[in-house]
Amino acid sequence: MSEQPLLTVTIDNITIQVPAGTSILQAARKVGGDVAPPAMCYYSKLEGSGGKCRTCLVEVSKGSEKDPRPMPKLVASCRTNVMDGMEVKNITSPRVTDARAGVVEFLLINHPLDCPICDQAGECHLQDLSYEHGKEGTRYEFQRRTFKQHDLGPYIQLHMTRCILCYRCVYTADQLTNKREHGILDRGDHSEIATLIEKSLENNFIGNVIDVCPVGALTDKTFRFKNRVWFLKPENAHRECPDCCGKVTLWNRGDEVFRVTARKDEWGEVESLADGSTAWICNTCRFEKKKSSDWVIEGPRKISRHSVISQGHYEGKVGTTVPTEIFSAVHGGRNPKLLMDIHSVSEVNRPEIQLSQIAGPSTGNDFTTGKD
Amino acid sequence: MGMKLLLEKAHVEGIRHFEAYRREGGYRSVEKALKEMSPEAIVEEVKKSGLRGRGGAGFPAGMKWSFIAKPEGVPRHLVCNADESEPGTFKDRYLMEFLPHLLLEGLIVSSYALGSHATYIYIRGEYAWIATILETAIAEAKANGMLGNNILGSGFDCEIYVHRGAGAYICGEETALIESLEGKRGNPRIKPPFPAIQGVWMRPTVVNNVETLAAVVPIINMGGEEYAKIGVGKSTGTKLISACGNINKPGVYEIDMTISVEEFIYSDEYCGGIANGKRLKACIPGGSSVPILPANLLLKTAKGETRYMNYESLSDGGFASGSMMGSGGFIVLDEDQCIVKNTYTLARFYRHESCGQCSPCREGTGWMEKILWRLENGEGKETDIDLLWDIQRRIEGNTICPLGDAAAWPVAAAIRHFRDEFEWHVREPQEAKRRNYGLAHYADPIHVPVAG
Repeated sequence: MSEQPLLTVTIDNITIQVPAGTSILQAARKVGGDVAPPAMCYYSKLEGSGGKCRTCLVEVSKGSEKDPRPMPKLVASCRTNVMDGMEVKNITSPRVTDARAGVVEFLLINHPLDCPICDQAGECHLQDLSYEHGKEGTRYEFQRRTFKQHDLGPYIQLHMTRCILCYRCVYTADQLTNKREHGILDRGDHSEIATLIEKSLENNFIGNVIDVCPVGALTDKTFRFKNRVWFLKPENAHRECPDCCGKVTLWNRGDEVFRVTARKDEWGEVESLADGSTAWICNTCRFEKKKSSDWVIEGPRKISRHSVISQGHYEGKVGTTVPTEIFSAVHGGRNPKLLMDIHSVSEVNRPEIQLSQIAGPSTGNDFTTGKD
Repeated sequence: MGMKLLLEKAHVEGIRHFEAYRREGGYRSVEKALKEMSPEAIVEEVKKSGLRGRGGAGFPAGMKWSFIAKPEGVPRHLVCNADESEPGTFKDRYLMEFLPHLLLEGLIVSSYALGSHATYIYIRGEYAWIATILETAIAEAKANGMLGNNILGSGFDCEIYVHRGAGAYICGEETALIESLEGKRGNPRIKPPFPAIQGVWMRPTVVNNVETLAAVVPIINMGGEEYAKIGVGKSTGTKLISACGNINKPGVYEIDMTISVEEFIYSDEYCGGIANGKRLKACIPGGSSVPILPANLLLKTAKGETRYMNYESLSDGGFASGSMMGSGGFIVLDEDQCIVKNTYTLARFYRHESCGQCSPCREGTGWMEKILWRLENGEGKETDIDLLWDIQRRIEGNTICPLGDAAAWPVAAAIRHFRDEFEWHVREPQEAKRRNYGLAHYADPIHVPVAG
């Protein structure tokens, strides 16, 4: 590989070096933790996506080494490339947190908030986003918008009321299938995802729109109302598939396979394969192969502790990944003042124990002082 | 009598057709440009003229032209933005309807300057009859050797195509226009890259307003320096103003940007005063997206100086006490107009025209419209006014294209200057249904606190 000059960028007081052509969002994801701006529409595996939801807005307080002027407006970090010497403020900027809270509010005013009956609940990016960046109440006092129901065929269930119009499914169909059959009709707040004339989506790779949808607008019809995602155990599995890579995640309860999805990384995006391509899966793998015997099981899948899905997994290092702690770096080495260190005041605690690392439900054994 | 550069010959009989236009001295600039000048010299001349984009933003046209990338072997394009859909603005319609050849003349010279061999006029679908006029004019120009291959023996080839839009305001935004021209959904693109680098079909493109391109003709004819002497400061040349609302003589006027706002409204040469002997309450001086101003701030700036009809003077005081020249849609409101209703009407327009691509604009415009409807219909609450302010604040600057700003500014300005009228609507809902708030104190001289 040829040597590429590395650019230095400082995001929330953390300085890293990235190759030219990296977006601010990608650079922030390298830092990880809370520094990475949320992204509802951007999908690194889909060319041209991003820039629409405005949740990833960041403040650029110094343009670059050559041109140190700050950018006047907040910029969409997913579509703005890093310059050498750029300084970016994300969670350290009150302007950004305020604008982001505004965007969350806008996204939620017409969202039905039917999480209790939504199949996406638990792995919904909008849930995470509103939990992390939103306000508790709503100031919207009008009827939420509704749409005429559209049937997209035997595989995909469309709930237009939940849609945040991220356009990810449009790009997916453009880039994975040879002919896109659905799109955005109409404009403004009455625009909707649909096929122009009632049509069922049956391309062999169209099922991937379910994986890319950040909300519950496009869900798996074969999994509809079958189970909550947090009751299911994710397992990596593969099979010889003539059409796709065949590397998937099975969602089991006991021996039963409830659904099959592509493997998603910690940003909720479909993982890359070793050769750099994306592990999209075909409809056959996703909708037809729902028996354990169809698959070669590789083992339990790591789930980010960030996600509610991880709540059923006690396996410590096996089942969950601990999010990056960046607090002290962001705040210039200043650590939060502990009100009380549970390890030093509690007698029923082993100082070395990390509660989140306990394998299985904790027992009295975990909480003995170790003196006896 | 003000100076006229564009509309001077607008009422000569048959000026719509090539013969009369040529007889009146038309296409002189094409001859001059193609025979005597190099493309660079034309760009230089336009730069010297200080011509500012007439579409709304007021960006210097010569500067915009000089940004265009010139990669080897890639064609460049000039696109004329005739998607004039801003409420209150109808100057381009007038220009194209009466003087189609003036636009073509400007287009040919500009195409030569930019090296565009295929030039497009993107016209809004509602101007159906004007598209026909333009097509006739193009056919005439072609028959007379002003278009096509080897124009006037100079070796320069140029074709002009008229492309009809489908009636979307958003397609007046240059990148949305480009998308629409390519046959896609008219969503604005995310910038950068700017059209000057990657525009139509990813080729370097310049998008200019109709009036800007027409103004190139007098610039070439009289020279950039002469043109720059007209007007004042950085507002050079003449500007078309489409005046409408409660005035005696609505219409399109060409002004040289040295007259005061008061003169423009009250002189018989222009608007001829407020209709039916009423008093001036407010004015939107540059098309619906610019901030509305009450009478006292319209005629005099916050510093107490006379306000003039030019880019600098109209925006004097920033958004706190000023407005913008915008696209020149001068909307006058008399004392019988309700600002709340007016703001609601504008909000409804922006809600309808938002493309729905980015969330603050898509959701925020609809929300603002609903709240304003409630205020207008006597169901509002005191908190609604602050809520509106909060919504507009969070739309402005956070969207992909300027439509979000354009939707936020009228609401912000209405609340900023007419807050008591909004409050009156909340406190006296029954009375607000029966009568209007009236002029109130909006024409009183304002007390200006001295800074420091």
